[in-house]
Amino acid sequence: MPILEFDNVSFGHGIGSDKYEVLTDANLAVEENEFVAIIGFSGSGKSTVVSLLGGLIEPDQGAVKMHGKPIGPPGPDRGIVFQNYSLLPWLSVHGNIELAVKQVFPGMSPTQREDHIQHYIDLVSLTGAEWKKPNEMSGGMRQRLSLARTLSMQPEVLLLDEPLSALDAITRSVLQDEITRLWEQDKRTVVMITNDVDEAVLMADRIVPLTPGPRATFGKEFAVPLERPRDRATLNFNPEFKHIRNDVTRYMMDINAESKRLNVAGNLKLPQIQPISLDVAPNIEISVV
Amino acid sequence: MESLKYTLLKIIHVSGLTFLEPVVRLCYGEEPQLQLKKIGRFIVIPSLTFLAFLVAWALIAPVYKTKSGEVPTPAVVWDAAQGVKRFHERESDKQVAYGLSGDERESSLAAVSEQRAILNSLKADADEQVAEASEERTALVAEEMEPLATAYETKKAEFKQAEKRREAALIVKASQIDQRDIDAKNELLAYIRGHEFQTEQERELLKQLKAEQDDVRNLTYAPLQNAMRLQTEIAEKEQYLAKKEEILSKANRSLKLEEEAARLKELKLQYAATTGPDLMPIAQQMLQIEGRMQKIVDSEYAKPWTLPMQIMRSLACVFAGFFLATAIAIPIGVLCGVSPTFMAAVTPFIALFKPVSPIVWLPISLIIVGGVITDPETHWLMVGMSNLPLIGWLQINPAFIASAITVALCSLWPTLVNTALGVASIDKDHLNVARVLRLNFFQRLTKIVIPSALPLIFAGLRISLGVGWMVLIAAELLSSSEGIGKFVWDMFNNGSSETFAQMFVVVFVVGVIGLLLDRIMIIFQRLVSFDGAPAAI
Repeated sequence: MPILEFDNVSFGHGIGSDKYEVLTDANLAVEENEFVAIIGFSGSGKSTVVSLLGGLIEPDQGAVKMHGKPIGPPGPDRGIVFQNYSLLPWLSVHGNIELAVKQVFPGMSPTQREDHIQHYIDLVSLTGAEWKKPNEMSGGMRQRLSLARTLSMQPEVLLLDEPLSALDAITRSVLQDEITRLWEQDKRTVVMITNDVDEAVLMADRIVPLTPGPRATFGKEFAVPLERPRDRATLNFNPEFKHIRNDVTRYMMDINAESKRLNVAGNLKLPQIQPISLDVAPNIEISVV
Repeated sequence: MESLKYTLLKIIHVSGLTFLEPVVRLCYGEEPQLQLKKIGRFIVIPSLTFLAFLVAWALIAPVYKTKSGEVPTPAVVWDAAQGVKRFHERESDKQVAYGLSGDERESSLAAVSEQRAILNSLKADADEQVAEASEERTALVAEEMEPLATAYETKKAEFKQAEKRREAALIVKASQIDQRDIDAKNELLAYIRGHEFQTEQERELLKQLKAEQDDVRNLTYAPLQNAMRLQTEIAEKEQYLAKKEEILSKANRSLKLEEEAARLKELKLQYAATTGPDLMPIAQQMLQIEGRMQKIVDSEYAKPWTLPMQIMRSLACVFAGFFLATAIAIPIGVLCGVSPTFMAAVTPFIALFKPVSPIVWLPISLIIVGGVITDPETHWLMVGMSNLPLIGWLQINPAFIASAITVALCSLWPTLVNTALGVASIDKDHLNVARVLRLNFFQRLTKIVIPSALPLIFAGLRISLGVGWMVLIAAELLSSSEGIGKFVWDMFNNGSSETFAQMFVVVFVVGVIGLLLDRIMIIFQRLVSFDGAPAAI
C-alpha cells in the first residue's frame, strides 16, 4: 500500500470565471522509503503539489491520502523544506531547531533535547555555527539549517520544495550529495520537487514529470534503477544514467512542445498584410539634407 | 586591539552614536583622510553651528526687553542653572543635617559656625564694597548731572521769560484792535497760534533734557552691580547657613528626641514616686510624650521641591503613562493585526481619538480620577504608594495619576498602529512554519507573531515615549502636578528676571532628557531588530 497518494486531485485558484486550474485529475502513489522526484517547468504547479501533500492547501476535488486516509491539516509527520528556507530570522541555528524539537517532542528532557538538536546540527555540517543568526549565513548554510530543522522533527515523509534552486551550482551539488547521503543513512519517504533533470536522475528512485500548466497533471513515470551509492563523477560515464537522462529530457521537451501547440488559439484571425518591398517602390524619393 | 575596535564600533552602531565612528576609525589609522572629512562633517560642523547659535542668542537677547527684564543671554542662563543646582544641593544638605546625631552633628555644627564666621568677614567686605561702589556711582551721577541740571534750569528760566514776553506783547496787540477789524483779529489769531506752538516746542525740549537727566540717574554702574550680586550671594549663603545651624541645633531630630526623652524620664521617676489618683494625669502625659517621640522619629525635613526632584517625578510620571499606554496598545494592536474584523471595529476609535489634544484629556481625567479618589489623604492606593520605599517620596497624588493617564491617552496611538501593522505584515512563510509545527494560538503569538513584529512595535514605542514626554510637561503645568511643568509654571508666575532665565534652563533640561529617552529606545529597537525586519515608521 502506498504511503502517500494523490487520488484524482484537482486544484485551482480563484472562483467562477476567474478560476485558474492549476492541477487537474492528478494521480500519484509514493511507496514507503521511496525517493520520488517531481520534475516540471516553472509555473506548472510544482509548489502546489507540495502544499497539497503538506496539507497547507486542500484539493478542490479528489483526495490526498496518507496510509490510505485523507491527510489532515499540516503536521510534523510531513516535514516540508521550503524553497525560501522559511527560517525565523530572530532565532539562531540552535533556536530555530529548538523551536521545532520542543513542539514535536514535548516529553524530552533538557539534556536529551540538547543532544537531539546537536545531532541534527552536526548531521548537516553546521557544527560551530550554532549561535549564528540566519542572516549571518550563506544561502547554502540556510538551506542546511532548514533541512536540519525539518529532519529534527523526524517526519515520516520529507517534502522538499525545490530545496536547491536558489543556490549556486557548486553549493547545489554539495547539498545534493548531502541530502542523498542523509537519505541513504536514514531511509524514509522523500518527495522532492525540482526543475533539474540531472538532479532528479542523480538523487531519485523514480521521476514523475508534471505536464505544463494550466490543468497540469502527472505524466509518464521513469524508474531510475541505478545502483546506490551513486557517484557523481563516474555517473557521467554510466550509459544507463545517460540513457535515462536523455529519455526524461526528451519527454519533457515533447510535452512542452505539445502543450505549446495545444495552447495555440484556433480561432485567432491573422491580418492580411502584404509586405512592401523596397525594390518595387521607385516613386519614393529620399532626399538627403 | 582589533577586537576592541569592533566592539567599540558595534556599541556605536547599537547606540546610534554614529558621529563617533570616524573618531574610532581614525584612532586605528583607517583612511585618515576620509575619517577627518567625516569628523569635519559630523562633529566640527554641528559644533560650529551650535556656537554660532549661542553667539546669535547672546547678541539678540538683550535687545528685547520684557516686564521680567531682558531676555536672558547664554551666560545668564548658565548662572541660573548654577542657581538651580545650588538650591538643590543646599536643600539636600539641610535634609541630611536634620537626620544627623551625636558626634557627627556636633562636628557639622562646628563646621557651620566656622563657615558663618568666615562669611561674616566676607559679608563686611562685600557691604563695604557695595557702599563704596554706591558712593562712586553717586559721585559719578552727580558729576554728570550737574551740567545737565544747570542747563535744564537755565533753559527753563529762559523759556519762561520768553513766554511771558510773548504773552505781554500779544496783550498789547490785542488791546489795539478795533472791534470791526476782522483782518486784524485774524492776524492776532495767527500770532497766538504761533505763540502756542512755540511754547509747546519749548516744553518738548525741556522734557528731553529731563529724560537725559533720568538716564544719568538710572545709570548702570558695573562695579556696583557686581558688588551687589556678590552681596546677594553672600546673603543667600548666610541665610542657608543660619538655617542649617538651626537644624543642626535646636531643630535637630536627635536633639528634639533627647529633650523629649529627658522629660519622659523625669515623668517616669515622678510616676514611680507617686501613689493614688495623681498617677492618672502623669501616665497620660507620659503616653502623650511617647506619641510625640514616635512622630519625631518618623519625621523628615520638609524639603521643598527642587528641579532635580521635579525631574525625577516627571520621569516617574512619563514612564507610568508610557507603561500604561504600552499595556493597552500592544494587546489591542496585536488583536488588530491578527483579526481584520477587530481592526475594522477599532478603526473608528483610533481615527476619532488620535487627534485629540492633551489639553482636553487632562481635565477629563482629572475629574474622573478625582471621582475615584475622593479623599487622597485616606485612599488606600495613595496611602499604599506613599509608603513604598523607592517611590514614596514622589508623593503620588490624583494630579500625578491624571497626568500619567493623559500621557497614556496621547502616546498609545503610535504603538497601537505600529503593532497592528507589524502583526499584520508577518511573513506568510513564518505562518506556514507555525502550521507545520501545529502551534496553538498562544504559541503562535509568542513564538512567531510577536518576535516578528517586535522591531515595528519598538519603533512605535519610541515615538510614543517622545510624544509622552512632550505631553507630560503641558499636563503637569495645567494640573499643578509637581514636576518640570510645575516648575515652569511657578517660574512664570514669579516673573523675575532670574526665574525667566530658569525657564530657559528648563528648555535645555527637557531637550536633553528627551534626547536621552530617544537614544535608549533606539538601543532597544536595534537590539530586537533582525535583518530584513520591516522598517520603522
